[in-house]
Amino acid sequence: MGLSELEECSLSLDGKLLRFMEQLESLEEKQAALNSLIEQGWFSTSKARYSMGNKQVSALQYASEIEPLVCVHTRTLDNGEVEFCTERVTQSTETGTNVKSIEEIGPQEEGVRRRNKPKNVVAEKKGNDEASSVAAPEVTPVKRSEQNPQQDPLRWFGILVPQALKQAQSSFKQVIELSAEIATLQTAVLNSREELKSCMKDKHILQKKTSAARVEQTVK
Amino acid sequence: MAGRGKLIAVIGDEDTCTGFLLGGVGELNKNRKPNFLVVEKDTSITEIEETFKSFLARNDIGIILINQFIAEMIRHAIDGHVQSIPAVLEIPSKEHPYDASKDSILRRAKGMFSADDFR
Repeated sequence: MGLSELEECSLSLDGKLLRFMEQLESLEEKQAALNSLIEQGWFSTSKARYSMGNKQVSALQYASEIEPLVCVHTRTLDNGEVEFCTERVTQSTETGTNVKSIEEIGPQEEGVRRRNKPKNVVAEKKGNDEASSVAAPEVTPVKRSEQNPQQDPLRWFGILVPQALKQAQSSFKQVIELSAEIATLQTAVLNSREELKSCMKDKHILQKKTSAARVEQTVK
Repeated sequence: MAGRGKLIAVIGDEDTCTGFLLGGVGELNKNRKPNFLVVEKDTSITEIEETFKSFLARNDIGIILINQFIAEMIRHAIDGHVQSIPAVLEIPSKEHPYDASKDSILRRAKGMFSADDFR
């Protein structure tokens, strides 16, 4: 009875140990990938600095208003592990509004054109009734001067930045995604470690019990 | 929107911070408090430690990235942090390559094979 319990405990311990080793291996692989990507990023930054100038691409050029373009979502799993996943704020929504603002120029110009013909207002109104009813919802004040706070950090360093800086940015974007994966793995490793420790203690107690039972049997 | 998720904080040398800010992790909040610290030659260990602790105390930070050579300076503070969130990741710096044997998490993982665990 005790022996089978011990066997079960040993088997689960083996399984947990294998899982722990796999997690450690995966963590090491991801760390290596992260390190090489960071190195690549630095290399590209240095190349950009070489073409832009020694004092370029430094902390002095950071914008006065900085908005995050990436965030991390955390989720605690049932077994106590925490999952980190990154979410990037895409620039596509911004380009979408830009396109819309260009389209809205039409109705605005129409408004100006109508102001020059005050005599034919009634006639024109009849003629353009359908068109204006369609265009009416589109006539909204366009906020042209509104600054985009979530501007691409590349712009901090200039309008026409070298390709190397773009490469550096893409390397660091990958590093950010990888760092979320590593953070997940780290919590998984620590969690597995705790499980292993408790399992080892259980096994130790069981071993003591079985050895005590054996001693009793031999004495009898 | 990025506001709903948590931020990634960075404590590192200028190149590391610049790189991650290029990647889009940077934030200056309403109180003009950044989520990054550029460590220079004259940055004191106290300042680094205070910044690290302030990042730990902020509930809008999910991951703290720190150069390993800077982590070495405040190792006691890093070892003292045992919560899962924020996760602390040690990364290499230009002059100091990553050494897994110094990593807080890996050292903790290695610790499970110590004699204490078998008692």
